[in-house]
Amino acid sequence: MTQKELHNQRLVKEAEQTVMRMNTRRHFLKESAMGLGALAFGSLFGSCSNTTAQSSSVVFDPAHPLMPKLPPFAAKAKSVIYLHMAGAPSQLELFDYKPELMKMDGQDCPPSLLEGKRFAFIRGVPKMLGPQAKFAQHGQSGLWVSEHMPHLSTVVDELCFLKGVTTDQFNHAPAQLMVHTGSARLGRPSLGAWTTYGLGTENQNLPGFVVLTSGGRNPDAGKSVWGSGFLPSVYQGVQCRSEGDPVLFIKDPDGMSRDLRKASIDAINQVNAEEYKAYNDPEILSRISQYEMAYKMQIAAPEVMNINNEPQYIHDMYGTKPGESCFANNVLLARKLVEKGVRFVQLFDWGWDSHGTDASLAIDLGFINKCRSVDKCITALLLDLKQRGLLEETLVVWGGEFGRTPMMENREGKQNPYKGRDHHTEAFTIWMAGAGIKKGFSYGETDEIGYSTISGKVEPYDVQATILQQLGFDHEKFTYEFQGRQFRLTDTRGKLINDILA
Amino acid sequence: MNKKIVFIVIIATLVIATGWMMGANSKPVDFTTQVKPIINKNCITCHGGVKQKGGFSLLFREEALGNTESGKPAIIPGDPDNSELIRRLTLSDPEDRMPYKHDALSKEDIDILRQWVKEGAHWGQHWAYAPLQPVAVPQPTSFFGLFHTSSSWVTNPIDNFIEQKLTDNNLQPSPQADKQTLLRRVSLDIIGMPAPEKIANSFLADNSDSAYARLVDALLASPHYGEKWTSMWLDIARYADTKGYEADRGRNIWKYRDWLINAFNTDMPYDSFITKQLAGDLLNNPTDADYIATAFHRNTMTNDEGGTENEEFRTSAVMDRVNTTWQGLMGSTFACVQCHSHPYDPFKHDDYYKFMAFFNNSRDEDTEADYPLLRQYTTTDSSNLLSLTRWLAANVSTNSAKAYYSFLKTWQPTINSLQCDQFKNAALVSSWYAGMRNNGSCRLKQVTLNGASQLMFRYTASVQNGVWAIHLDSLNGPLLTTINLAAVKEGWKIAAVSIPATDGVHDLYFTYHNNTIDNPETTGVLFEWFCFGQPFPGRGKPGYDNAYHLFWSLMNAPVSTTPVMFENPDYMHRASYVFERGNWLVKGNVVNPDVPKSLNAFPAKAPRNRLGVAMWLTEKQNPLTARTMVNRVWEQLFGTGLAETLEDLGSQGIPPTHVDLLNWLSYQYMNEDHWSTKQLIRTIVMSSTYRQDSKMNSDAQQNDPGNKLYGRFPRTRLSAEQIRDQSLCISGIMSGKMFGPSVYPYQPNGIWLSPWNGDEWRQNTGEDQYRRAVYTYWKRSAAYPSMLTFDGVSREVCTVRRIRTNTPLQALTTLNDSAFVDMARHFALRMQQSGANTPTAQIQKGFLWATYHPIDDKSLLSLLQLYNTALQSFSKDEQKTCEIMGGMNVHTTAATAALTVVANAILNIDELMTKN
Repeated sequence: MTQKELHNQRLVKEAEQTVMRMNTRRHFLKESAMGLGALAFGSLFGSCSNTTAQSSSVVFDPAHPLMPKLPPFAAKAKSVIYLHMAGAPSQLELFDYKPELMKMDGQDCPPSLLEGKRFAFIRGVPKMLGPQAKFAQHGQSGLWVSEHMPHLSTVVDELCFLKGVTTDQFNHAPAQLMVHTGSARLGRPSLGAWTTYGLGTENQNLPGFVVLTSGGRNPDAGKSVWGSGFLPSVYQGVQCRSEGDPVLFIKDPDGMSRDLRKASIDAINQVNAEEYKAYNDPEILSRISQYEMAYKMQIAAPEVMNINNEPQYIHDMYGTKPGESCFANNVLLARKLVEKGVRFVQLFDWGWDSHGTDASLAIDLGFINKCRSVDKCITALLLDLKQRGLLEETLVVWGGEFGRTPMMENREGKQNPYKGRDHHTEAFTIWMAGAGIKKGFSYGETDEIGYSTISGKVEPYDVQATILQQLGFDHEKFTYEFQGRQFRLTDTRGKLINDILA
Repeated sequence: MNKKIVFIVIIATLVIATGWMMGANSKPVDFTTQVKPIINKNCITCHGGVKQKGGFSLLFREEALGNTESGKPAIIPGDPDNSELIRRLTLSDPEDRMPYKHDALSKEDIDILRQWVKEGAHWGQHWAYAPLQPVAVPQPTSFFGLFHTSSSWVTNPIDNFIEQKLTDNNLQPSPQADKQTLLRRVSLDIIGMPAPEKIANSFLADNSDSAYARLVDALLASPHYGEKWTSMWLDIARYADTKGYEADRGRNIWKYRDWLINAFNTDMPYDSFITKQLAGDLLNNPTDADYIATAFHRNTMTNDEGGTENEEFRTSAVMDRVNTTWQGLMGSTFACVQCHSHPYDPFKHDDYYKFMAFFNNSRDEDTEADYPLLRQYTTTDSSNLLSLTRWLAANVSTNSAKAYYSFLKTWQPTINSLQCDQFKNAALVSSWYAGMRNNGSCRLKQVTLNGASQLMFRYTASVQNGVWAIHLDSLNGPLLTTINLAAVKEGWKIAAVSIPATDGVHDLYFTYHNNTIDNPETTGVLFEWFCFGQPFPGRGKPGYDNAYHLFWSLMNAPVSTTPVMFENPDYMHRASYVFERGNWLVKGNVVNPDVPKSLNAFPAKAPRNRLGVAMWLTEKQNPLTARTMVNRVWEQLFGTGLAETLEDLGSQGIPPTHVDLLNWLSYQYMNEDHWSTKQLIRTIVMSSTYRQDSKMNSDAQQNDPGNKLYGRFPRTRLSAEQIRDQSLCISGIMSGKMFGPSVYPYQPNGIWLSPWNGDEWRQNTGEDQYRRAVYTYWKRSAAYPSMLTFDGVSREVCTVRRIRTNTPLQALTTLNDSAFVDMARHFALRMQQSGANTPTAQIQKGFLWATYHPIDDKSLLSLLQLYNTALQSFSKDEQKTCEIMGGMNVHTTAATAALTVVANAILNIDELMTKN
């Protein structure tokens, strides 16, 4: 076939495709009151909970499930980067400055803090543990940040702290699920899945929801923290990897050149075009376009996942180590992905579970190393997004799944070999930046030893509601019907944290 | 002011006009299809199961006609003009007009409601809640003999139903599909993969009228039938090879999967099929197979994480069983009522917990070992067990023989040590086992001793000379006994000691002392379970010593285990409560086991346990069981259920396209076919409806784009399992091996990375890497990636419908996944070794194998072109040739490499992804 013939063929195909797309869409809309659309038309039909009618009209088109869609109202954020420190970092060594706690260092924990409480590992009467870091005020805003985050202190005026976050889950897996899916049980869609379900994604050559992990392990709750739950599986997070194929099965088999792959996809699509002539089924055209997209994704994904081509000053800024698997590399990738139109990027960094059971999990040793590994690159991310004008439309969220106790952990009643803190549900810190969130602001307060939240208490549901709000959704109206009821990310809970919106 | 008058005049005119029009319409308003949808859409959120604003609810007729907060009823049957309901719909004051703060109802909707009230506000029963009745099959009509409908098209009654609707819509059915298409379609549908060569060839060679029927029978008789339908059932049963939650450790439960395959293959009647799964353990003299069937409800997740509350996760598993029973077996969204009365369907909040009470008394308690387990012995031990029970029957009693049989098969009933509390210097270690240090104590509460004179327990101890004392009712209470605990070298040990015979129910207080322990932090003993009872009976009878010895050797014998159901004996009965707003910590009234009043009554003679539930479910009066299964089988064959929402046949589900057909098939299934699933499938695939061509002619597209009338066979993308199995078959490497532990085919590195769990994916070698998809190891938190990409589900909870998507990641999988590339290589070799000598002939042959039909010229040209391009490039590049053949050194010729590229392409064409 000559170039011209090929070109003509493509033109015809594209035209056919457009016609069919419109057809399927029209049919789809026509049937939506009865068919698949009814699933997505959510609370148009009322709901189990008290959401009222007329909600998001998210249409799920199985032939083009990731086409970009507009949110119900104007959005501040086009994309989200969620940095999850899996294992739960200590708020008491980072952002929640508690000089009073220092005074109690080494004393027995007062019984009032233990009565009626359950801890994951603390038994009997533990000792109090003062902050294992020096704190100072930074920036115009004068917000407190510890010495463990020297770089981040310099951009504190971009951040908005939530210091009164609480949860009701004190084990990693359920708590991580709570933060990302709004339920401690498995089986609910994650924040990223909801987002791509509601908004699709800008770049069809890349997955819409990308997950990057570091620290040697996946998060405790496994892939369910980026799962699609009851939403169609196309909305689950695609785990991109820094070793092996960046996306599963993206690499051509050994021995298959790019040209040959191109030739083979052309051949497949030519055979499929014959099939279409015989059957007239638009689904065949959709398959043809999926194969074309797959081919483009094979170029686009490794390209965006390759950080080698970044200029040296960027590497210096982030502290990246090309060729290795580390959090800094993932942070740089997050910026690249968002820049390329990926809707939701979620990073999990494993190793923040500072129990004090060994040196790497000691609050005065391993924890400091963990801080070093994230401080510089996260700061670079914020500055880099800002200099590219992307921070205004990118919501950056940082946090863990719960907090850590002001007490020193004594596992099963024994002194731990190193200084550590147990899981704590009653107070922890999350920060956000960008996309219409107040800058240099702190919301919520804990008591003088950082044990309980005394004002500005928020739950993971509230954080989720706020993230959805910035993406252009009312969390109460953004629903999906499953097992006969309208489900939403925030379940029956969730209050928008109005005070932190700029 | 003027505006208002004009408005009122218009309304009045409309009302009069429509009243007249409605009067002229002789057909009465139908509640279910006309009224209920309006109510569900506009009213029920505030006036239903969740909220009853103004004291008014539209869920049940007695509520709707009852007095509201105003003291008057809102609906007066026969009198729409004086019915507040109608008045409120037409007001102009937004404060009073309903629906409150929403757009007014359309004139049409209001007219329907008005007419409905006028006709007496009769409540209709939702189609799926009415018991099944015989359904008249529509007969083709002839208009004064002037013309006939095409009744020659009809093969069986299914077609009458389909034809009637097509005719009503001026549509024609499509002609029958060609033989090759039918062969591939019906094979994929019945056995989930292309037909074995012998079956395929004899069909293609058979030109008689009965050829197709013979093909269908051969496929239904194939052992692969059971594998395909098991794949479907595993989603419902939320089967997985791991326990779920954080660590997601392995679980041996594959014998349940094998049980399903056998059950489908022997065409076990569906009523027995679900009875055994719900309550096989409660049948008389349950066999191993009956026990294994009950693993259905042991596929719930178990949480092994430290610090978790076992009761919370036990409760969660029980609720999951309730939800799965309703969702999977009755197509109902009963799960809704765990928090409040159902907003749309006739189920009340209490109904959930009454039903849950049936399931609340199984022995499982979220233990790490997944107790209760069925213990399956070696052949020798099985015959030992047989002789032991015979001895007991002859020398003690048949009851005793039965009890010992059951105990040896399950180690039940025993009390798990995780029931201990009040730990002092002791702890529930990892939230799994009660462990005690020197001078430690704990409590085991409310133990029914019933005259027990023996304590059997399973424990482990790292140190000698531990002394375990048991006090009654308090730490200082009467001493029941003191037990010296010997150290256990390895693993666990079961010991039995005599205790003074004691009656009644007591809290037992345990203390542990061991003066040889220096380190106060040493755990002296770990207990797993306790069993209070009587010593082995029959002392003094001939053969006692031998029997006693057999008993102990069987207690400790090597066994393979499967988690199963086992019911609490009466003395371990758990009370069941309503959970306020679904919160298990906020317990309301005590409830007794019962079924919702709105469905068929609980059978009079049925026991109030899981067996009774099974009897209730499989009673012919149960309106949901047969419909749910028939609808599901239809969905497997046609891609969409007759009622599209398999998960919800209730009033919020999408109504069936052919409700009479669904009812007819369901009635037939129960009554004529005696729950034979094979017969149901045979009836459907024999119909002309099923045998239609799937090509879209333009008429059909215009008038029925969604194919809701079945004017053609619906093309459907294959399931994840079918895609794998088909490729294995075409490549000629499918292993025919059935049954056994789950297998590990090729999977990329780094998929499994659970914290606290060093399990690794150990890729099989040999034929196990080419087993059917149904045997693939399924880890909930990291399921087999290529199957997930094709919409497989993670199986954390019951999923009755997979949503099919079409994404580039799917293309990447079948193009590049090493498992599929490997298949392409074997496919290429198979083409070469077929006797076809030219590339053209080889491609023709391969395409024929893959699709059963010859390749068209244009497609052949495209593939040949690909072959030549590939051949050219490989001829110049030995390295790449070797690579693409994956080190198959014997075959590293450029020609084979080029053919492999073509094979890879064929395995990716749309026709193979789809059922035509």
